[in-house]
Amino acid sequence: MKIINCPLNGPRNAQEFVHGGEVVAHPDPHRCSDAEWADFVFMEENRAGVVREWWCHVATAYWFIAERDTVKDEFLRTYDPSELFRDRVEFTRPDPPPDPDPPLDPDPPLDPDPPLDKEA
Amino acid sequence: MSLAPGDHLRRSFLYRELAALDALFDEVNGHAAAMTCGGDTAQEIARARSLGLCDLSALRRVGYKGWNTAAWLAAQGASMGAESNRAYAQADGTRIARLAPGEALLLGTLHGGGALIDQLGAAWSMAHADGCFQVPREDVSCWLSVSGEHAAAMFAKLCGVDLRPAKFPLHAIAQTSVARLNAIVIRRDVGETLAYDLLTDIASAVYLWRALLDAMAEFDGAPVGLAAIRGLAGPQPSEG
Amino acid sequence: MPNRMPEPAGLLLDRSETVEFSFEGRTYAGYKGDTVASALLANGVGVLSRSFKYHRPRGPLTMCGQDSNTLVQIGHVPNRLADQTTVAPGMTVRAQNYWGSLENDRLALLGLLHRFMPVGFYYKAFHKPRALWPLWEKVIRRLTGLGTIAPDAPHGYFDKAYLFPDVLVVGGGPAGLAAAIQAADAGGEVLLVDENRALGGALNYARFDADGALADQRKAMLLRELQARPNIQVMSDTLCNGWYADNWLALVRGNRLYKVRARALVLATGSYEQPLIFHNNDLPGVMLGSAVQRLIKLYGVRPGSRAVVATANSDGYGVALDLAQAGVEVACIVDLRADPPADELTAAAARRHLPVLVGATVWEAEPEGRNMGVRAARIARITGEGTCAASADSFACDLIAMSVGYTPAAPLVYQARGRVRYDEESAMFALAELPAHIFAAGSLSGAFNLDAALEEGYRAGWQAAGDAGFGFGPEPACVNPKDAVGRTHPWPIFRHPKGKDFVDFDEDLQVHDLENALTEGYEHIELLKRFTTNGMGPSQGRHASVPAVRLVSKATGAAMDETGNTTSRPPVGQVKIGHLAGRAFEPVRYTAMHFRHLELGAKMMPAGLWLRPEYYGAAPTRSEAIRAEVKSVRENVGLIDVSTLGGLEVRGPDAAEFMNRMYTFAYLKQPVARARYVMMVDIGGVIVDDGIACRWHDDHFYVTATTSGADAVYRTMLWYNAQWRLNVDVTNVTAAYAAVNIAGPQSRAVLEPLCEGVDLSKEAFPYMGVREGHVAGIPALFLRVGFVGELGYEVHVPASYGEALWDALMAAGQSHGMRPFGVEAQRLLRLEKGHIIVSQDTDGLTTPHEADMAWAIAGKKPFYVGMRSVSLQAEGRLTRKLVGFEITDRAAPQPKECHLVIRGDEITGRVTSVAFSEALEKVIGLAYVASDQADEGSTIEIKVDGGERVPAAVVKLPFYDPDGARQEM
Repeated sequence: MKIINCPLNGPRNAQEFVHGGEVVAHPDPHRCSDAEWADFVFMEENRAGVVREWWCHVATAYWFIAERDTVKDEFLRTYDPSELFRDRVEFTRPDPPPDPDPPLDPDPPLDPDPPLDKEA
Repeated sequence: MSLAPGDHLRRSFLYRELAALDALFDEVNGHAAAMTCGGDTAQEIARARSLGLCDLSALRRVGYKGWNTAAWLAAQGASMGAESNRAYAQADGTRIARLAPGEALLLGTLHGGGALIDQLGAAWSMAHADGCFQVPREDVSCWLSVSGEHAAAMFAKLCGVDLRPAKFPLHAIAQTSVARLNAIVIRRDVGETLAYDLLTDIASAVYLWRALLDAMAEFDGAPVGLAAIRGLAGPQPSEG
Repeated sequence: MPNRMPEPAGLLLDRSETVEFSFEGRTYAGYKGDTVASALLANGVGVLSRSFKYHRPRGPLTMCGQDSNTLVQIGHVPNRLADQTTVAPGMTVRAQNYWGSLENDRLALLGLLHRFMPVGFYYKAFHKPRALWPLWEKVIRRLTGLGTIAPDAPHGYFDKAYLFPDVLVVGGGPAGLAAAIQAADAGGEVLLVDENRALGGALNYARFDADGALADQRKAMLLRELQARPNIQVMSDTLCNGWYADNWLALVRGNRLYKVRARALVLATGSYEQPLIFHNNDLPGVMLGSAVQRLIKLYGVRPGSRAVVATANSDGYGVALDLAQAGVEVACIVDLRADPPADELTAAAARRHLPVLVGATVWEAEPEGRNMGVRAARIARITGEGTCAASADSFACDLIAMSVGYTPAAPLVYQARGRVRYDEESAMFALAELPAHIFAAGSLSGAFNLDAALEEGYRAGWQAAGDAGFGFGPEPACVNPKDAVGRTHPWPIFRHPKGKDFVDFDEDLQVHDLENALTEGYEHIELLKRFTTNGMGPSQGRHASVPAVRLVSKATGAAMDETGNTTSRPPVGQVKIGHLAGRAFEPVRYTAMHFRHLELGAKMMPAGLWLRPEYYGAAPTRSEAIRAEVKSVRENVGLIDVSTLGGLEVRGPDAAEFMNRMYTFAYLKQPVARARYVMMVDIGGVIVDDGIACRWHDDHFYVTATTSGADAVYRTMLWYNAQWRLNVDVTNVTAAYAAVNIAGPQSRAVLEPLCEGVDLSKEAFPYMGVREGHVAGIPALFLRVGFVGELGYEVHVPASYGEALWDALMAAGQSHGMRPFGVEAQRLLRLEKGHIIVSQDTDGLTTPHEADMAWAIAGKKPFYVGMRSVSLQAEGRLTRKLVGFEITDRAAPQPKECHLVIRGDEITGRVTSVAFSEALEKVIGLAYVASDQADEGSTIEIKVDGGERVPAAVVKLPFYDPDGARQEM
């Protein structure tokens, strides 16, 4: 069973981790084309070679990034996401409404009857 | 005379398992904590030296997490080192387990004390929280102690991390899977006896207790009360 | 025991203890330490089984568990290796795979039908007529399979444990022992495993020198050295069953599976001796030369009275010498080599006047009785590759020993992705390349000379220790030649016109079977294997693979190396399901009130890893109990444990912004002390979770999640913030809070007297508010929420107070006749209010618009996860919708969840929730229907069990108390 070197916890059995998909830049949901958005939602590059991907150490819920050669199945590097993600991400709309948080969700008694206390 | 756990508002998730062993309970932090588990203290100390399991749920603990945790703790006079997955002893006997650069778990003493925990609790509030937030560890996690010379061999039946003393030094921490539960394991020898703290999801306490007893059976391990673990510490050494 | 040699023969025997056991109903006696096979052979019983296809009698071939001729049923366990299993007093052993008796197997008639059962015949037969398939299935099921499973067999206790050696050495023969000793000297921990009972490997049975003393000397020295090193842990009777990534290996010992993580690995697994292929080479009494030596040395058993030894190397002469010394007459040594080189062993054989024929082979074995043993060997001169002279001389014998070559025991090498190539000079496969952190020594790596094997062992141990971080001293030298050349015959295959020249004993495959497949075009070694099943039986090709490669190479003209060999996958040997499955760890989570539920007679049900009360009462009263619980909530007051719901603390200056991005609704302006619905969709716009958010502070939200979704929601939040870098902290406090919902018109009356610090009146604490206070002295959070549609309060307390809270409320509710209610009642109550349950009423594709949840989308905010997809959905056409339906006809059968909605011949949807509502006196439910069926008043048809189509009417939601007056009072 492969060993993955967690940046926080050190080398551990692969069973302690969950794979989180490829590291991809998220397209701007307001400005990208439908095709770009569909590609982002449904397609993976699935490269044979060195890929950059997300892994989560389950016991600590710690997310990190790994560079792995998918052909040799070798981990080359693992590191904290702060190496790639340093700045706060903001979202803006090209068509900002006059009140971005309009009273469409007013307080009761106008609150619609939301289902609560969910059980599954 | 033994207290009844059912008379207390706060109850360990394991009190029925302990009561079934004819445990004798005494007051610790608003809980009725099992002081012995059906034997006398001397017998249980001997067992704790070989392989013993103790419910430490009554003892004090609290967590703090957030990007500013290390600085906030330092500002309160608590000293937490720079290495993660390591526990740092404090002057009042509390230990601070650094789980991550932004997460600390404070563990109080075997005698139910936690002066530093109280101090921090008084200093912290949501209104003035700045990058550091309190975690109610007394209810998030159950806390068990596995002690004795067979402890590491027992863990090898439940855990894929090498916890043997030669490879897992005193105060080292492993956040990993034990019996398929997310767990925090901290080496915390008591006196001369090898011992480990084991903290997991409180709701899995009964499952974990039974899984540990099953794994211990091979080595004649069994539950011990808090008095036995305190007894391992022995009288304070006058030299070294 | 007629074939037992006198003491001191039998290294593994303890003659002080006689062991009685039965085989096929007859009692036999052996000694403690005997295997079933050796004890039976000692008693003159040479037939242990019937072969798979032709039901030919079979006896031991390897005497070390590498063949499947000796699979027997012992007690309730089938497929035990008789040559590896020690006898125990009272053991009941039965043969397998016969009809009638082992001696008179009626299925041996199948042997006569062999012409109609060529290789792969089952691919071509049985196609037609199709009507006969049930008959064939019955017949084939009865004929196939080995052994019987006893359904009432007692369960064993199986478990697993980890081991973490610095160096793992697999194989306790000379090379392995040397490796362990050398590695141990470098410091670090060494684990040495061997699948046999006694360490020593070939040193226990082989003859390396003329007087046969060298093996014992070397073994004694090595064992002494081993015992002197306390940092070597030895595990014998331990099978290394598989190599997995990063030197993780599985060891099977007794009922335990050891999971080993080794820094460095030394493989010293030796090699498999190979059989000679000739007519009737599968008869009982035909066995490998090493099998003969094992019987003599380990078990003190004379394998026969008169032997022919077929050999192509020096080892066969050692076998002949051992036979002669054991009192077996050696009729002839048949050397396939035309000009065998002289050495110590050939000279010793000559000194004993053992007859030798060179350039000849055993052409046929003549059977004794109905193939129950060997009567004679017919020996012919070799004329070419696989061909012999027409005339053959008959030598009377009851034992034919074969020493014609070896192949490395390399399954672990293949599994570790090591490379193996064919070496023409030695006519054997050989290791070409090993991956990092793996080293090899001994005959596995071609060192057959004993001194060379030891040197290689020392060197491999030194290298492994260095690799594991324990460097020490200079690298041991290897000066002795390996002597692999001249041990293996390049063509030990003599195709016979009458066939029965077996290549694969497990599958009853003869030379012509493989050649026929080649003629049909299955020329690739992998295809040949699958088409013929060569190498796919329990022996996994240990004896069958190499001859197949030789045959393919010859037929195609490709070199052996180009043809290649098939690979090996775990397990290497046998493993029980128990080893893999037990001791299973199946976590279960209890709420703080779990035992109170049991005490109240609750029937518990799983919800994710948790257990929750389904209802309270005995099984026959299930519907009664649920009905009463529902009624109690609607008309009076009920109490339910809702601790299992997920709980997350979202805190920090960006808490509201974070909530705004994770969920579809709007949170920036959510007032403190109020609750608000949350719905989460994924990037595809599919609903994945929901709950409520309570705002305790500008910077503090407490959010609930579904029981089974909580962990995923937590992880997803952390994943997003790892990228967004907002100033927010998320903490999972799911189990830290025990929670109840007290619901019903009397709920306020029950709760109020216990409360401190909180005013429960409608004015002070309106619907959808959240408050903090105390209940019965316990610090609590109060959420006024309405899942079940009645006045009610959700009370959250720290988990360690949970049981005390329940006790206090149950006591307070007693005078009001309060009942506890379970998940089933709650499901019905919420259905009457038309509330969806994520993952019951939603599936992997449900969008907010389909589920009529568009009201929970704040479409004007800058961002939420999945926003773009939801917009695209809104622009597109809905194909289905989730609607409420009712069936007022009391006589109609009630549909069940997942019954289909059918229009004509078309499936347009399915039922997701359905129940009979006593309050409304009709069947109500939720179902997906086609969008053009979704209007209020439409009629839909639901197909129920038995095929009847029940009409239902689409109605507006909620079914009960549409104004919500009851929950807002």
